[in-house]
Amino acid sequence: MKILVYLKQVPHQDARLDISSDGTWIEESNIKFEINSYDTYALEEALKAKDSEGAEVVVVTAGQDRVTQALRTALGMGADRAIHIKDEAVDASDVLGVAKVLAAVAKEESPDLILTGLMSEDSGFAAIGPMIGEFAGIASTTAVVGIEREGGKLTVERELEGGNLEVVEINTPCLVSVQTGINQVRYASLKGIMQAKKKTIDVKTAADLGVGDAISPKLTTEKVSVPVKGETAELVEGSTDEIAAKLAAKIKELGLL
Amino acid sequence: MTKILIVSEIQNGAIREATYELVAIAQSMGGEISSLVVGGDAASDAEQMSQKGGGTVYVANDAALANYNQDAYYAAVNAAVDAVGPDLVLFSHTSAGWDVAPRIAAKLDAGIVTDCFGIAEEGGNFSFSRRIFNGKMEQKVVSSGGPVVATVQAGAVDAFDGSSEGSVTELSVTIGDTRTTFIENKSPEAQGVDLTKSDVIIAGGRSVGSPEKFEEVINPLAGILGGAVGASRPVVDAGWLPHECQVGSTGQIVAPKLYIAAGISGAIQHTAGMKGSNFIIAINKDADAPIFEVADLGVVGDLFEVVPALTKALEAAKG
Ligand SMILES: Cc1cc2nc3c(=O)[nH]c(=O)nc-3n(C[C@H](O)[C@H](O)[C@H](O)COP(=O)(O)OP(=O)(O)OC[C@H]3O[C@@H](n4cnc5c(N)ncnc54)[C@H](O)[C@@H]3O)c2cc1C
Ligand SMILES: Nc1ncnc2c1ncn2[C@@H]1O[C@H](COP(=O)(O)O)[C@@H](O)[C@H]1O
Repeated sequence: MKILVYLKQVPHQDARLDISSDGTWIEESNIKFEINSYDTYALEEALKAKDSEGAEVVVVTAGQDRVTQALRTALGMGADRAIHIKDEAVDASDVLGVAKVLAAVAKEESPDLILTGLMSEDSGFAAIGPMIGEFAGIASTTAVVGIEREGGKLTVERELEGGNLEVVEINTPCLVSVQTGINQVRYASLKGIMQAKKKTIDVKTAADLGVGDAISPKLTTEKVSVPVKGETAELVEGSTDEIAAKLAAKIKELGLL
Repeated sequence: MTKILIVSEIQNGAIREATYELVAIAQSMGGEISSLVVGGDAASDAEQMSQKGGGTVYVANDAALANYNQDAYYAAVNAAVDAVGPDLVLFSHTSAGWDVAPRIAAKLDAGIVTDCFGIAEEGGNFSFSRRIFNGKMEQKVVSSGGPVVATVQAGAVDAFDGSSEGSVTELSVTIGDTRTTFIENKSPEAQGVDLTKSDVIIAGGRSVGSPEKFEEVINPLAGILGGAVGASRPVVDAGWLPHECQVGSTGQIVAPKLYIAAGISGAIQHTAGMKGSNFIIAINKDADAPIFEVADLGVVGDLFEVVPALTKALEAAKG
């Protein structure tokens, strides 16, 4: 069995975000990056399948040089090989363009199962997974919190609003976008990190994948800004003890003490 | 004139409120509005949609559409797109919307923008407002020709509640073999703490850091106020607290007399579960955290200092 996992490197969850000088994204120098948390759950799901029944796990990402580190981490966790789409035109494209390029890898690799995260924590589209499914001509399902495999089918639990679940059967090959919490994600072991040094990262461009002409963006980001706050909280200021006293007084006033 | 196609959703036997929010957005742009209503037997829903701003309503009735199914819904949306030739296709950003909308965009080779809270039209192009980085930044995306598919955040605008004269047309949809099969819906079993019964909830976020820190920092404050401990999703995902502690769109919806959010950023999926609380206190290191937009009182500070100090102050006040 071959499993393809798409992962994206995103700013670290605790990174301080400043707007870039051109005003269309954030300043990326001097911040730390990590694998999108949703994608770590997708990778773990693939590695679990590898542990239990054997599978080749291939991780794929599109991005600048810095994403090599995300791929190394994934290889250290147990992925077998990696594909890095390194192409400025892809980075500058839109969701549609990126999805086309990522899907071209799926067509080349024809895996039995594709896993993605439900959404990226930076741009938050929750769109690229199903789009890869469409371009690759396979079924897809989203926000999955449980996967069982039997024969040529998966039975998955999709998360709906209000914590409700929907159980769906889906033919393989297919693409599953994973919601957080589906498993407990492992860390890369020291041994894994050592072994990862020998694993290969294939670097490709959109042209290498035969989709160099298909990625001019249809949508552009005009502006990124700090949200204009509507009504906002009254701030309690002072020393920690003064703040605590003011909050305690308010709680007493609410009749809750 | 701009042609807008609204993809409606039926839930518990009626058109969802979120669909009428799409109607409000479409009406505000003043284009030519069409809607798609699908279901096992959606004739009366389609009728209602046509009288409540849905314009030219296309209805697809098929047993295969009774429950959400990606392949079946995809076929229906495509048939409607063929009938209308829209410049903009609108979905709600719900579990059905984010499942099928991207596939429609890919099929149409169209741009896609998701989870928008505002859309405007100017000279045939659209601009979309949305939040990125879990709500911390705002992004404005613009189109320049060609159809666009968009999903809209539920609750972002007030639902359209006017009336209008529309029409209903049967849409014939060929649904072949589907690659996905709906098996059943499951509701979470009620178990453990029912947060909705608590007058006071002290909720901690990812930054609390571990189950031990919850016990050390959050539990004592809950204890002195006789309140319950709540959490954001990452806390539950990490297994620090059980699922019934999760507050938000995929957890519990609560409205206590007092909700204290400690180290919670205030992503929309969290605030959807607690913004109805009577009084909200937020403690966060980051003055720009979106949680302050829903809080009544805010403290820009370190929860590991503020929460224990508050616990002590309350102990002293209690005597
Ligand atoms: C479909 C879907 C459903 C979801 N459902 C839910 C849901 O039901 N409930 C839910 O909560 N989330 C849900 N989420 C996840 C949601 O989008 C956010 O990722 C999540 O709420 C973030 O949790 P957090 O605020 O604890 O973590 P973060 O966003 O990482 O925020 C941590 C915060 O802590 C602050 N901080 C750090 N250190 C300190 C300190 N020492 N003192 C004070 N403040 C500090 C930081 O400034 C930051 O604001 C859902 C997401 C999706 C896509
Ligand atoms: N540049 C990328 N490289 C690889 N995978 C990606 C990339 N962008 C998005 N993805 C995958 O698509 C999912 C959804 O992303 P998005 O549609 O941006 O929210 C992510 O969780 C990843 O699995």
